[in-house]
Amino acid sequence: MKKILALLLALTMVFALCACGSSSAPAAEAPAAEAPAAEAPAGEKVTVTMIAAQYGPKTGDWWVDFEKKFEAANDGIDLVVDCVSWNDIYTVVNTRIANGQAPDLLNIDVFADYQADGLLLPAEDWCSPETYAKFYPAFLDQSVVDGVCWAVPDLASARAIYYNKDILEQAGVSVPTTLDELVTVCQAIKEKCPDIYPWGIDMTTDEGQAAFAYYTWSYGGGFVDADDNWALNSAENVEAIKFAIGLVNDKLTNSDPANNTRYDLQDLFCAGKLAMMIAPNALSQQAGDAGINYGFAPIPTVAGGSVSAGVMDRIMCFDNGQSAEQMAAITAVVDAFYDDEPYSEWVLMEGFLPATSAGGEACAAADPAMATWIDIVGSAKFYPTAKAEWADVKQGVIDVEQQALLGGDVQELLDALQAEIAG
Amino acid sequence: MKQKKPYTHLNKTEPYLWILPSIILMAIFIIVPIGFVFRMAFSQVTKAGLIKGFCGFNNFAKVLSGAKFGMVLKNTIVWTILVVGLSTVLGFILALILNNEFKGRKIARAIVVFPWATTLVIQASVWKFIINTDYGALNTLLKTLGIIQQNVNWTPTPEAFFAWEIACGIFVTIPFVCFTALSGLQSIDASYYEAATVDGANYWNKLFKITLPLVKPSLTVATVLNIIYVFNSFPIVWTITKGDPASRTDTLVTYLYKLAFYNGKQGEAAAVSVIGFLILLVCASVYMVSTLKKGDE
Repeated sequence: MKKILALLLALTMVFALCACGSSSAPAAEAPAAEAPAAEAPAGEKVTVTMIAAQYGPKTGDWWVDFEKKFEAANDGIDLVVDCVSWNDIYTVVNTRIANGQAPDLLNIDVFADYQADGLLLPAEDWCSPETYAKFYPAFLDQSVVDGVCWAVPDLASARAIYYNKDILEQAGVSVPTTLDELVTVCQAIKEKCPDIYPWGIDMTTDEGQAAFAYYTWSYGGGFVDADDNWALNSAENVEAIKFAIGLVNDKLTNSDPANNTRYDLQDLFCAGKLAMMIAPNALSQQAGDAGINYGFAPIPTVAGGSVSAGVMDRIMCFDNGQSAEQMAAITAVVDAFYDDEPYSEWVLMEGFLPATSAGGEACAAADPAMATWIDIVGSAKFYPTAKAEWADVKQGVIDVEQQALLGGDVQELLDALQAEIAG
Repeated sequence: MKQKKPYTHLNKTEPYLWILPSIILMAIFIIVPIGFVFRMAFSQVTKAGLIKGFCGFNNFAKVLSGAKFGMVLKNTIVWTILVVGLSTVLGFILALILNNEFKGRKIARAIVVFPWATTLVIQASVWKFIINTDYGALNTLLKTLGIIQQNVNWTPTPEAFFAWEIACGIFVTIPFVCFTALSGLQSIDASYYEAATVDGANYWNKLFKITLPLVKPSLTVATVLNIIYVFNSFPIVWTITKGDPASRTDTLVTYLYKLAFYNGKQGEAAAVSVIGFLILLVCASVYMVSTLKKGDE
């Protein structure tokens, strides 16, 4: 009896303390799609729910203002926007889906997992042809699965090399345009300015997949082959990763690429301790405020020319069994959001790049420095986020980089990853 | 003399009524979510969090056959033993010091509480800042004092990073052990020491024959609670390294977090959670059984 009591007490204690230190998202079998549609009685408002990603400190206020203006212009619609930080948004969305409370609209980066579970509606069901025609076609292509577009882009960011003009001048070098030149420039900086890190590399869990993209694209490789099949262990990829690891081993980079995030590198760049790094356009503001004499240039490739890496977020619509009236309300919200004036105002406020051509023109007119970036993002390459295995590939390439930093064989590591992903 | 209450049915159930609110709260906020975790561990869960049916021990098989699980489990055991062990020794020594009469004792005790009272994320962020190679406080201090000329990389290997994380863990755990031990020390009757002094016992005799045996129950409670807290600790490792590089500094909790929220493998993450739970259950059971046995004696 005492032993049973002891076990019960132990169970209670572990239960209680485990619960103190962890959080769990309850899951349910009923998909959101099975939730019955609530027909709004005549005269009552139609509610549209939305979860929006919080890009910056002003995002929440902007959406509150948008809600007010939208509801004033659309008497019969009640728009409810929850602005959620990037730290919590995946948990919040998954919990709501599991509880059958998926939002009507969701603003987030990935869509393939929701699409694979049959939770989304095709974009043509809720995005008007007028709005759909505004997007850069290359952006829409990133959300196509089996010939159907499931999400529309809300904004993008592109990456380029940021360089400290003063440091390069001191080292007597100019911006590299090939990877060979990059090595030469880094060596010159290391020799002339020994206290400066010549080149910044982020191979952390935060964004190590970006480094994989930069170097493999620069070598003509990448995540997928021409037929859109995973090609993680291609000869080009192996060479590219060896090149990047070589830069670290030759001490031409920041000291700890597996732990220095891009934000750490941006801080170093703005403190004048890092000569060059690949970063999004948002660094312009930070570097300008820090008084750095900076410039930016396309990412060099092995054979010359340039490659641009783009990152894109999306808006998608969940299949909650909405009525025709609700679908019309959702379309009205999407149309209002992408209206040229509020949309370009929102994109400029967030410091990103627009996903619509009209927004691009408006942003370029408002800020001449944006024009170069808009050209860059128009031809950018993107991560293959439409593929269902993307989450595993993303973590897998980061792990390959980190193991290579610890001395692992790049070819063997990439072979193992390819076998795991593509079977 | 007070008359004894007659035995009624209400008397028998009364204690249960009093603890009913606690039981209901525990059921809602602790047992139900943990039940969900168990359910997920035995279910096929999609990346969007939908349960697609029972899958037996598949999630456990995937986790246990994973290349990293063994290393992560080893890290977790090393992390728990070192943090709990060293913080218990250091916390007890600190409690002995703070139990002495000296000027400013109250201030010293208040200072010891600080690491405990500060959020772990903040603590870990401060430690990360201190050891940073490029603008860390440690390098700046040593350069200012003229001890070093160039910045030193304090974390050149994953093992070095893990050692710093353990140091941070010890730092934030010491106050809890210290105050638990201190409460035990203060409950020891001074007459024991007086009698021992009369019998000619020296400091070490008193420490090992009187102090330690009498403080042992307090230290045992602190140790078992610490094993559970430290084993499940997330903020320190996550803030300093996120388990990088290549999971070399991951513990079970950071590993399962990555599985759930970075890889979208919620079923496998739940399986790791259940494995951790079972390990802790064994530890807590050993403690409870031994405590109740001693109660019998």
